[in-house]
Amino acid sequence: MSGGNGFDDSVLGRATGVDAPPPAPSAELLRAVEGSKPVRTRTRFGAALVVSLVGLVAPAIALVHGPLRRDLAGLPAAWVIAAAALWGAAFALSLVAALVPRRGDVLPAPSRASLVSTAAMAVVALFALFATVDVPGLSMLPADRGWTLFDSCVHCIGTVAKIAAVVLIAGLIALRRLVPVGGSRVGMALGAAGGALGGLLLVFICPFATTAHVVLGHVVGMVLAAIAGAVLVRATAR
Amino acid sequence: MIAAGTALLDRLYLPARLGAPLVVRRNPVYQEGVELMAMEPEAREAAEAMARYCRGDATAFHKLYGLLAARILAYLTGLLGDKAAAEDTLQLTFLKVHEARANYVLGANPIPWIYTIAHRTALDEIRKRKRSRVRVGKDAELPAEPAAHITGVAADVHPDPAEPSDGSGPAAAAVALAALAKLPENQRQALILTKVHGRSIADAALITGSSPGAIKQRAHRAYVTLRQLLKRKEVA
Repeated sequence: MSGGNGFDDSVLGRATGVDAPPPAPSAELLRAVEGSKPVRTRTRFGAALVVSLVGLVAPAIALVHGPLRRDLAGLPAAWVIAAAALWGAAFALSLVAALVPRRGDVLPAPSRASLVSTAAMAVVALFALFATVDVPGLSMLPADRGWTLFDSCVHCIGTVAKIAAVVLIAGLIALRRLVPVGGSRVGMALGAAGGALGGLLLVFICPFATTAHVVLGHVVGMVLAAIAGAVLVRATAR
Repeated sequence: MIAAGTALLDRLYLPARLGAPLVVRRNPVYQEGVELMAMEPEAREAAEAMARYCRGDATAFHKLYGLLAARILAYLTGLLGDKAAAEDTLQLTFLKVHEARANYVLGANPIPWIYTIAHRTALDEIRKRKRSRVRVGKDAELPAEPAAHITGVAADVHPDPAEPSDGSGPAAAAVALAALAKLPENQRQALILTKVHGRSIADAALITGSSPGAIKQRAHRAYVTLRQLLKRKEVA
């Protein structure tokens, strides 16, 4: 392609030496390669499966052994299923975006990871804002425990943080040497996945059903987990 | 659930792949039970070499090196603007590929992955240079600045009047390289990957860790700036 100024694009190719012969492999590189042994390669879904299984242990224990929210029986079954499905989908999609490469690729795509996790956070935030349901007489207010809204939010953010920490640590191990670039975007998706898993658990155990609490405690917990993931993966997973 | 999620995400990502070259899904190659994606011949060749290399076949490494080293070197030269540094970074890149070979997914196209490792290695080299930009000699004197032509171009890259005027000479290439070096780092990466190396927008986004939209925009801006820079030099 030639421009009006007579400049030809192929000049760039010549400038960077596209046709130039490369140097032979260095002695150090040859030594490393000659001694190489067969390695077990990754599979596309392996890391996501391991991280999701590890991440699900703590919520499963909490659900089996811990107390469930006292208004659970009074809530519409369709709402409980929808809320659980939404938080569960936010977890699964964010985790897949963070850890599973597209078909034919080796690395997870950072742009897809940030897009999916941002969309997941936006959808759960909208659901929390406009579709939070309580059961008069059964659902609790923070004041019923002598807490302020802030106290109740800090409590739930703490729960989300504990669940997200497990997912983040397992994900960081899975992502070793796997994010040469775009670490913050991939980390954001990983953190969002952890936060969404925490949010999923809170659907069943958190007794506070006010919109303000769900948004500021549960959704903000997920957002904070995503921020923590972005910072951690960028700093460590290269 | 994970598999369903992946399929959904692959579909969601379709618009970003529209910029990618059309790949006809025909004649998939099977290798020891692993399906290699229907892909361009060179990508298939690289995937096969990478698979053999991961199984411990050292000769496959030489095949992979032969396939990719020239273009990775060119990419690194474009980013670093220095052939010698690019050659060192090339060796480091392949050493990193060797160390990270367990991260390869059998059947996948290894070319964007190796570009990504080269990209990261080049960024580390650029940062290292920025940290040690001022080098003082043993006698505590700064090295002499390179001589400049009256046009502002470095004297050693100023075109020779005897050179062919169609821009095919080495001095024209040097001027282009000097103009490339003046571009912002992210624009330079996008331009080299898409215009010089012919990577798709989706591949370039994966290699640089950006979004496809950002790559398109940066490549366009870089192209416009580069044309202006080169035109200005021609006028001068």
